[in-house]
Amino acid sequence: MKKSILALVLAMTMIAGLVGCGSSGGGKAEDSTQAAAPAAGGSDLKVMIETGVESLDPQVATDGTSFEFIANYTDGLMQMDADGQPIPAIAESYEVSEDGTEYTFHLRDAKWSNGTPVTAADFVFAWQRAVDPALSSEYSYMLSDIGQIANAAEIIAGEKDKSELGVTAVDDKTLKVVLNVPVSYFLSLMYFPTYYPMNEEFFNSVGDNYGTSADTVLSNGAFIVDDYTVAGNALHLTKNPDYWDADRVQLSGISYQVIQDSQQALMSYQNGDLDTTLINGDQVDQVQGSEEFQAIGAGYLWYVSPNIDAVDALKNLNIRMALTMAIDRETITKDVLKDGSNPSYRAVPMDFCTGPDGKDFSEDQEMHKDVCSFDAAKAADFWKKGLEELGMDSLELEMIVDDDDAPKKVSTVLKEQWETTLPGLTVTLRTEPKKQRVEDMQDGNFQLALTRWGPDYADPMTYLGMWVTGNDNNYGLWSNEEYDAIITECTIGKTAMDAEERWAELFKAEEIVLNEAVIFPIYGQCNAEMLSSKVTGIEFHPVALNRVYKNAVKSE
Amino acid sequence: MKKYVAKRVITAVFTLLVILLVLFILMQLMPGSPFNDEKLTADQKAALYAKYGLDQPVVIQFGRYVLNMLRGDFGVSYKISKNTPIAQLIAVRLPVSIAIGGYAVALGALVGLILGLIAALRRDTILDTLCTVISVIGVSVPSYVFALALSFQFGYKWHLFPMLYNTAEALNSSVLPSVSLSMFTMASIARFTRTEMLEVMGSEYMLLAESKGISGGALIFRHALRNALIPIITVLAPLIVDLMTGSLVVEKIFSIPGVGSLLVNAIQSNDYNVVISLSFIYSALYIAIMLVVDILYGIIDPRIRLAKDDA
Amino acid sequence: MFKKKKAAATPIAAVNTYVPVDTDFVLKDNVDDLEIDTNFKAQSFWKEVSYRFFRKGSAVFGMIMILLITVMAIIGPSMNNYTYSGQILAEKSLAPRVPGLENLGIFDGSEKMNTVNGVQVVNNYKDKGLDDTYYWFGSDNFGRDIWTRTWHGARVSLIIAVVAAVIDMIIGMSYGLISGYFGGKTDMVMQRILEIANSIPRLVIVTLLLLVFKPGMLTIIIALMLTEWVGMSRIARAEMLKLKEQEFVLASRTLGAGSFHIIFREVLPNIIGPIITQVMFSIPTAIFTEAFLSFVGLGIPVPQCSLGSLISDGFNSFTTHPYQIVAPILVMAFLMLSFNLVADGLREALDPKMKGM
Repeated sequence: MKKSILALVLAMTMIAGLVGCGSSGGGKAEDSTQAAAPAAGGSDLKVMIETGVESLDPQVATDGTSFEFIANYTDGLMQMDADGQPIPAIAESYEVSEDGTEYTFHLRDAKWSNGTPVTAADFVFAWQRAVDPALSSEYSYMLSDIGQIANAAEIIAGEKDKSELGVTAVDDKTLKVVLNVPVSYFLSLMYFPTYYPMNEEFFNSVGDNYGTSADTVLSNGAFIVDDYTVAGNALHLTKNPDYWDADRVQLSGISYQVIQDSQQALMSYQNGDLDTTLINGDQVDQVQGSEEFQAIGAGYLWYVSPNIDAVDALKNLNIRMALTMAIDRETITKDVLKDGSNPSYRAVPMDFCTGPDGKDFSEDQEMHKDVCSFDAAKAADFWKKGLEELGMDSLELEMIVDDDDAPKKVSTVLKEQWETTLPGLTVTLRTEPKKQRVEDMQDGNFQLALTRWGPDYADPMTYLGMWVTGNDNNYGLWSNEEYDAIITECTIGKTAMDAEERWAELFKAEEIVLNEAVIFPIYGQCNAEMLSSKVTGIEFHPVALNRVYKNAVKSE
Repeated sequence: MKKYVAKRVITAVFTLLVILLVLFILMQLMPGSPFNDEKLTADQKAALYAKYGLDQPVVIQFGRYVLNMLRGDFGVSYKISKNTPIAQLIAVRLPVSIAIGGYAVALGALVGLILGLIAALRRDTILDTLCTVISVIGVSVPSYVFALALSFQFGYKWHLFPMLYNTAEALNSSVLPSVSLSMFTMASIARFTRTEMLEVMGSEYMLLAESKGISGGALIFRHALRNALIPIITVLAPLIVDLMTGSLVVEKIFSIPGVGSLLVNAIQSNDYNVVISLSFIYSALYIAIMLVVDILYGIIDPRIRLAKDDA
Repeated sequence: MFKKKKAAATPIAAVNTYVPVDTDFVLKDNVDDLEIDTNFKAQSFWKEVSYRFFRKGSAVFGMIMILLITVMAIIGPSMNNYTYSGQILAEKSLAPRVPGLENLGIFDGSEKMNTVNGVQVVNNYKDKGLDDTYYWFGSDNFGRDIWTRTWHGARVSLIIAVVAAVIDMIIGMSYGLISGYFGGKTDMVMQRILEIANSIPRLVIVTLLLLVFKPGMLTIIIALMLTEWVGMSRIARAEMLKLKEQEFVLASRTLGAGSFHIIFREVLPNIIGPIITQVMFSIPTAIFTEAFLSFVGLGIPVPQCSLGSLISDGFNSFTTHPYQIVAPILVMAFLMLSFNLVADGLREALDPKMKGM
């Protein structure tokens, strides 16, 4: 198959995740790639991160910060362009078989920072590590469930040896991958760090110390790690002169600083110690009107999940409808969060998946407005009806909430909105550490929960697949045969082959979710960021790599 | 005295073992697991548990841990810095906390002692009230507010000190955190010094000493302060351990790579080995310092030495 | 060494009858104490204590402040029409505005904003057309009245702190006194238990406690109590070690008094000074620890509030809307100062050594 045909196939279900949030979103960050005329010299970009880097091992790392950091100095087969599309990196070109289950990548001449060439064997070693039960990589499902690489699932389960993984080095520069089924977004997985190469010889020479200091990591990417301590607060990367695409890299380096307190972060930014920083909603008052303030899409949908199975009152559809109709989402995002987050009236957030019609899946926020909108009068009617059906005149509900800033604020407002709109309702808030909240949900030990979900891949299925009967993440234990049927049909049935019909069916599935008030969507998260006007070309993405600095330019 | 010290050291080792066991049991009670990413399947979780031996009974885990620890192996981090040996993690962070905590203790104790002495010697005067007010302000404003205020004024407005900790100018950037950390110590010590000095100076042996013609510096330092020091040390000792093992609040605000924030992160992410190792270090330090304090008692107050030798 | 102390037991009569000549001694500045000796009539102990206490201006000031704050904590929240949890999001983040005072140019609802474009003075009341709206201490990020919340928070904090401190005192004091008095093996075992309880970082224990139990006032009180009693017991023990070798204990024992009589009747009154100082310290410490717990997300559940949670909320807007943190911090500081002044007054009034002289 030729590239052009593949591109067409891709376009049908692939990411168009151009990130834009609120009205202030966008502009500068995105169109700068082209605009950026090479500035003379170049200097270090100073970046703030909220949490430290957990691991430099691409097959072990699981958090966004680590991914972002690793991607600065490691190239996979593909890289992300400004729009989130995969473009060649270490792979110079590739072919896909007719049936879409066999990929052949041709590698370019790239070097590791110790001088050894990057070969196909480095990928085989890395991918085998990722599925090796001895390593127990938390992201091994990227190769099995999501990537569908042949034998990956069996190796993870310990049924087959890792050498049987469907990836082979035909020669030093040719890598062949065999998949179980065609995966339309497979190329975009290639920029996901779990798929990054690892040099076996070097890895064995440092052993357990891999990635514990600047000397124990290898780079084949735009930058080289030159200052790193485990769980350190200040990290530094410098430009890699031997990078295959070194001409495009304008920055002399990147320095990372962990800052947990957002007020210190903003003060540092104002003092010029940072070029970009996250701020919290309360600080937006201070930066309103500044051209450097932007809202960057984070990909997450925040919603309330009712425990439909375990709580009698929540089994009642009228009660659930009342709860979802009583939420004034506009107020929450505009007056409380203020960070540019968008109210969401859909079960799938905006800005990460584009349909065959070229439109964002959730572009039309009013699609389901008769079942998901703010209408106090209607909510009160539903509430009255619901209470009558239950034979009660008051109701107490408890909601579990993460003890982080945003969820605490949102839940405080939710409680107030519910209690004022729905007479007789008392909502108790139980804030707990996130891990505890997740565990409570997994155990079904909750009534209402304020939770969020980030997309794993650029398809509405990453959300809609969740509410299928028996899914691990269907915490409310809601079950609907019609819904299950649609989802199955769209995953492995005939509909799966017809992009347009599939899309229409997915809208139908989403409508069932909202008709039944399986979740009460609230908002799509955005992060409020300050970005110095001296800096252009940072690419922001809601999935995989949140920030890419390769094309960033900083003028003096 | 030697026998007493030897006995105390042996007990301390035993106590530490008990503490380790208690910590292990507490970890079992901790809700959640280090691997509770919502996207992990049950099989994957089981595999991870098996990999780190967390599927074994507590007794076996405990035995294994103690044996490894005797060999200097504290296990690896599960979450904060994946698969990194704890010893390596702590070796980077503990010295930072000890340094900043040390400055804070020294500063707090010194200023506190001076304020307390002034207040006691100039009792019921304006100076006394002033010292009281200063020391009360030290405990009235939570350290995070104080830290941020310092950072705003001295870092952001006046550019006198760095707002964030950095290793390149470790001493300079330790000033603001140390000062904000020392406030509580200073206040406690000032209050206690005043109380104890007044108590001691009201006692009969001071009257006697005074009547014997001892006066001035000798009276205050050799006779009064020496007796007042016992309770002061009792108050100071646990503060030393608290400060040396890092303060979450100040570390968070000044971005200090210390062990205080590490412990909190570890608790929040169920990074068992990190929690246990840090708690254990804390306990060991605490016990060691308390031991030193008990011995110091003997040196400062002969009555206690006698009592102990009897026991 | 010992002779010096023996003198302590008997000199009362001698001092009272002997009139010192100026050249004999330089007078110690204990004129007050001598005055008491002149009316050394049959006065009850507590009468004397209150007499001395009320003569000390700073102590009385502290007492009045505590009473005032307590009264405000009771009636403050109902002094206007706002409730502590009611949100009016349209009126969020308004600076303090007080009728009357606003005409003087203060508390008129304007605030200085430290924006990236420099300092700006804004008056959101005017901008939003809220001519008849007054928030005496301002409103928070949810449009809740900070006046109401501050006094409500003071109420919650006071309850938590006082209850926790009293329980601490009872448990810690008894533990320390018993351990110190019996000494030897008892002391050894009791100190080891204490060491174990105390040498596990309290954040670990408190976090666990708050995760296992439902967060709320009671859980926080238990958490504070669990972590604070140790300090009290250490003070009590140190004092006991200092006192138990003294003659009045020996005398009491010779007269056949039981151990518990000696501990609680003979020694306890003698160490009430340091104990009360410690209680007065554990009240602010308790308020503080609660604030710290709020800071790490383990505080009182929303929308309830305490001084600590108000400060930690206000902290997030410290550089944006500083007035949100001012009221709770001031109330807290005054509470703290007052408790300290009262503690000083009480300690001096109670001190049995002064009584004897």
